[in-house]
Amino acid sequence: MDMDMDVDVPLPEELELLEESYIIHDQEFEHLDLEPSEPYPYEDEEEEPTQAKSPAADDSSPSPGTLIHCHKRSRSLDGSDAPVPDSSRPSDEKRSRIADDEEEEEWLRYSPSKVIDPVMKEPAVDDKEETLLWRFASDIDGDFIPVTAPSGGDRVYAKMSIEEMNERREKLSLRTQSGGLIEEPINVLLQRVEQEAFTKALQASSGDQNDLVLSETPVVHEKLWVDKYAPNSFTELLSDEQTNREVLLWLKQWDSCVFGSEIRSTSNEVLSALRRHLSVGQHQKFSNSNFLWKNRGPGWNKENFRLSNDFEKKSTDFDQINSNSKVIQDLWNKKSRSTGPPEQKILLLCGPPGLGKTTLAHVAARHCGYRVVEINASDDRSASTIEAKILDVVQMNSVTSDSRPKCLVIDEIDGALGDGKGAVEVILKMVSDDKKSDTGKENAAKEENPQKISAKKGRKSKPLSRPVICICNDLYAPVLRPLRQVARVHVFAQPTVSRIVSRLKYICNKEAMKTSSIALAALADYTECDIRSCLNTLQFLHKKKENLNMLDVSSQVIGRKDMSKSVFDVWKGLTGKVVRSGDYELIMDGVHENILQLPYHDPVMQKTVKCLNCLGISDLLHQYTLRRQQMHLLAYQPALAITVHRSVAQVQRPNIEWPKSYLRYRTMLTEKMDTLRSWYYTIPPYISRHLSIKSFVEEAVSLLLHILSPPTLRPVALNLLSENEKNDLDQLVSKMITYSITYKNVKLNPLSSDRSNEASDTLGLAFDPPIADFVNFKGYRSGHYVLALAMKQVLVHEVEKQRILQVSTARFGHLIDGCNKENEALSGKETGRLQPDKASHAGPCAKSIEKTSRHSNPSMPPTSCKPESSTASLKLKPSGGTRRSSGLSSFFDRFRKLSKDSQNTDTVVRKEETSERDLRPLLFKFNEGFTNAVKRPVRVREFLL
Amino acid sequence: MLWVDKYRPKTLDQVLVHQDVAQNLKKLVTEQDCPHLLFYGPSGSGKKTLIMALLRQIFGSSAEKVKVENKTWKVDAGSRTIDLELTTLSSTNHVELNPSDAGFQDRYIVQEIIKEMAKNRPIDTKGKKGFKVLVLNEVDKLSREAQHSLRRTMEKYSAYCRLILCCNSSSKVSEAIRSRCLNVRINAPTEEQIVKVLEFIAKKERLQIPSGFAARIAEKSSRSLRRAILSFETCRVQQYPFTSNQIIPPMDWEEYIFEIASDIMKEQSPKRLYQVRHKLYELLVNCIPPEIILKRLLFELLKKLDAELKHEVCHWAAYYEHRMRLGQKAIFHLEAFVAKFMSIYKAFLIAAFG
Repeated sequence: MDMDMDVDVPLPEELELLEESYIIHDQEFEHLDLEPSEPYPYEDEEEEPTQAKSPAADDSSPSPGTLIHCHKRSRSLDGSDAPVPDSSRPSDEKRSRIADDEEEEEWLRYSPSKVIDPVMKEPAVDDKEETLLWRFASDIDGDFIPVTAPSGGDRVYAKMSIEEMNERREKLSLRTQSGGLIEEPINVLLQRVEQEAFTKALQASSGDQNDLVLSETPVVHEKLWVDKYAPNSFTELLSDEQTNREVLLWLKQWDSCVFGSEIRSTSNEVLSALRRHLSVGQHQKFSNSNFLWKNRGPGWNKENFRLSNDFEKKSTDFDQINSNSKVIQDLWNKKSRSTGPPEQKILLLCGPPGLGKTTLAHVAARHCGYRVVEINASDDRSASTIEAKILDVVQMNSVTSDSRPKCLVIDEIDGALGDGKGAVEVILKMVSDDKKSDTGKENAAKEENPQKISAKKGRKSKPLSRPVICICNDLYAPVLRPLRQVARVHVFAQPTVSRIVSRLKYICNKEAMKTSSIALAALADYTECDIRSCLNTLQFLHKKKENLNMLDVSSQVIGRKDMSKSVFDVWKGLTGKVVRSGDYELIMDGVHENILQLPYHDPVMQKTVKCLNCLGISDLLHQYTLRRQQMHLLAYQPALAITVHRSVAQVQRPNIEWPKSYLRYRTMLTEKMDTLRSWYYTIPPYISRHLSIKSFVEEAVSLLLHILSPPTLRPVALNLLSENEKNDLDQLVSKMITYSITYKNVKLNPLSSDRSNEASDTLGLAFDPPIADFVNFKGYRSGHYVLALAMKQVLVHEVEKQRILQVSTARFGHLIDGCNKENEALSGKETGRLQPDKASHAGPCAKSIEKTSRHSNPSMPPTSCKPESSTASLKLKPSGGTRRSSGLSSFFDRFRKLSKDSQNTDTVVRKEETSERDLRPLLFKFNEGFTNAVKRPVRVREFLL
Repeated sequence: MLWVDKYRPKTLDQVLVHQDVAQNLKKLVTEQDCPHLLFYGPSGSGKKTLIMALLRQIFGSSAEKVKVENKTWKVDAGSRTIDLELTTLSSTNHVELNPSDAGFQDRYIVQEIIKEMAKNRPIDTKGKKGFKVLVLNEVDKLSREAQHSLRRTMEKYSAYCRLILCCNSSSKVSEAIRSRCLNVRINAPTEEQIVKVLEFIAKKERLQIPSGFAARIAEKSSRSLRRAILSFETCRVQQYPFTSNQIIPPMDWEEYIFEIASDIMKEQSPKRLYQVRHKLYELLVNCIPPEIILKRLLFELLKKLDAELKHEVCHWAAYYEHRMRLGQKAIFHLEAFVAKFMSIYKAFLIAAFG
């Protein structure tokens, strides 16, 4: 008891003053101590009155102002003589431990007479606190606690007297020795305390007490067994030991962060102590130093009871662990020495319902000294509310009622849909914020002592400083995908049937219900080890005064949970045993996907035919069901699956794949349809109206590809072509324009390039609406001739030129007739769209017609294209002094032209320029680089050739 | 410009293939007694061409000046509003649209949009009340509900609105609609007719065609005029002075189905069926309708099959096509057909060769 050494011995006059006011303190604390109805109050009852009686006699009315003072200091009295009775206590403790419920109740029943109404008392305490408050923290030498006024926001500091702390320690030391396990869960006790207080308040007003107290008992009696026999200590948990310990370990890793730095050293001590089966005294120190600064409210000693109990349980628990496995402990030691909160700040527990996830979370959190705040599906889980709630949990510390640090348990997080997704988002945000500011702040926090941390808590915007436990059923719910990555995940395994059975047996014995182990085992098996379901069933039967027998279980008299099996299980099951599930369409898809891969024996394919017939029927049924909304027909779907099962079932486990191909087919189909459709709209209507998508794919596309890449066209420069070839080229260009097809740059992957002639070049030109893809079946070599790259480039160029030409002719309302007659409709359309703004040159016009070609961005003025057209349109054009001319095309285009088919560009340019030169003396403005922002020296000579 | 478009007849007089139909239509127009019309026939037979020529006959050249509109309609359907996007081709006197583009919401198009269009009565230049024409494509793809909704519209606004419906198969158009229309069956052109058209084009293009070459193209075209002309042009592009034994390029998907068929003939096992499935998916992905795949596959299989089995295989093909049309997932039924064929064929092989 090294802490006892630094107890301040109060001065004699102080003592005197204290003794004066002791009576009030006594009354107050009697009441407070009695409330929790735990073993300790008996001692208080026996011990304190003897000390307090005489001072109470000589000073009857202490001034209200000094009350708090007394209250605080008075503990020193208690503390100073505490060690003496300490040794003599154990016998008392033992007695009190045996004390059962009835005794407690009895005692509670007559206690109210002595107790002052707590509701009346509390405001008084508030008022009196003033005397011990300072405006500035520096005025106080020693520990203090900040208090913020709820209304004005004023902040004051209250001194914490060391005496009080010591005194508390003493009390705890007494108590922890007692070490009685609480018979009932904490929350039940708390509830009872509340009820008690309520009753007392009622009694105070009405004076009638017996009725109310009596009315309580049946309520307790009618509790669900699930609640009644819920495990309230760590050792009672039914779930897997390993998981339990992992969870506890994770929670303990928060200690250094939540309870401050001091604890870290002690927790190590505690651990070593645990290992060596040391005396309980060390725990007291742990718990005391732990909660000194927090336990201020009237409920403070109640807290300590619980904690000390918890710690005892832990010690027993650890003894067990000790005997069981050293591994966990080593892990523990290693982890607990590491600094700060654990790596993963979220704990995600998942598993099927009824295995005790929520219970584990609650028990473990309580065990580690947290107050559990639960948010479940019934709460509002939109982002804003949840954020407020989490911040509240994480950053605030309640002063009045229950001042343990809080631990947030978010239950049923996978059910969070819609607004509920907010919860996951908020948590993720906090975690990510945390990661950023992690190391620095963490270290700083460690240096400070616990009080400082508490003082800072309100102001700090540190995102996540309290453990958060999330509970879900389906780990792979889409909502949880991001959370899975940051959280520590624990999957609950089913507890063994024998474990469940033994527990059920125990409960049945308690409830005096006759059962057989076999029936219980069957029940457990049937419910897939869902304890809740088992207990509910048992209680139900018990109420009906029936006994559980095997027949009941197997004949499904007992309600079965509405479970959903994973589709993988169903598919696997189809090849093994038949199971039930809901999503028939998906199941049938899966069957379809996998059935041909199964190694069943089928010489003349009869089984395959049968299975595929079943699939076909299922499809028809599904279609009909959905179309006619005859949902009852769905009942016949499983029968089909069973037929499939009969055909292909076998012993060995197959390799099941998720049905992807149908979905892939759907997406690709829509994608291709979209390409076609968007292309369709760019074709002038007088052509497109005759061509539906179906007929295009069916009849046109292959031939169109042939037509668009004629093998007779020699890949040479334009000026080398014969008259006939030129004519052919012109026609080809006009075809490409009317079908608004062009080439564009694509990266050829080496696989597909084997069917093209230009395999050497990785960067190729392909048709712009990718119509070639429509004949590009997998594993099929089409006999399409593909033009050489140079030829394609020529075509791209020509197509651009023609387009602009068309636009310009349309703009000036002059149709160059002959072959251009067909452009009428197109140009008519274009004129409607184009503004008669002459300043805006061909650039925007070109853009408006061809969305398809990104390849080159020509900004040629309309006059500069063909000799014949230029003459025609020049007459119309106002002969302005400066005009843009020359074939500007894109930067890259130019270089390619220069390198590969420079002749071609030359000829084009030459043609234009000769026509221009003939018309007028030199009037030339070269705007090269104007639009492309790239400059290159060009000689005028080059244009005048 | 492709020859298909270049030599498309613009007026009813220019029509080469269905001259009788064209003359009847012309008579209808001149007598100012044009009822609702339902054109049906296989693709590539010239339905659209006839419709356009008819419109030109009615409205003159103004019918050719069309504009494309992509409009979003807000349709109030009870408690909610539905946004429908619809592309229309419209001139001053007529509107062309494809109501089945809206998929399952085609009902709203018929109920709201078409009704709206039919209501608005145009006034022609002389101040007389003119009438307008709605051309609805792919009526056979309309859902039953949409077809029902169409009936009333046809009657109610018949005074100043004519509907021209166009579809491939009249059997999918409800009886009620068919009885309200003058049904015009457009046959697939015979091979002789196709040859005639090809020779006409050759004359216009000043091409020499060896005798029998046009007939070969016509034969390969499976009586689709569009396909015949496209093939002809392809041949022209690939090799000009035609030789009579020049290859006529096949359709790629047909070649692919040919490959599938030979795969099926080579081996009959679930494993092979699995490979076939992937190939079928390839075809389906490339927008080839499953009915056509099935038909073509049957055609290719029958070519290689013993005469004994042909009847049975045809029966099963019909059976699975029926199911395919009732159902939703074409691949199931296609595959079931392939499996059935494999089963029959394998049993046959075992029986024949032991």
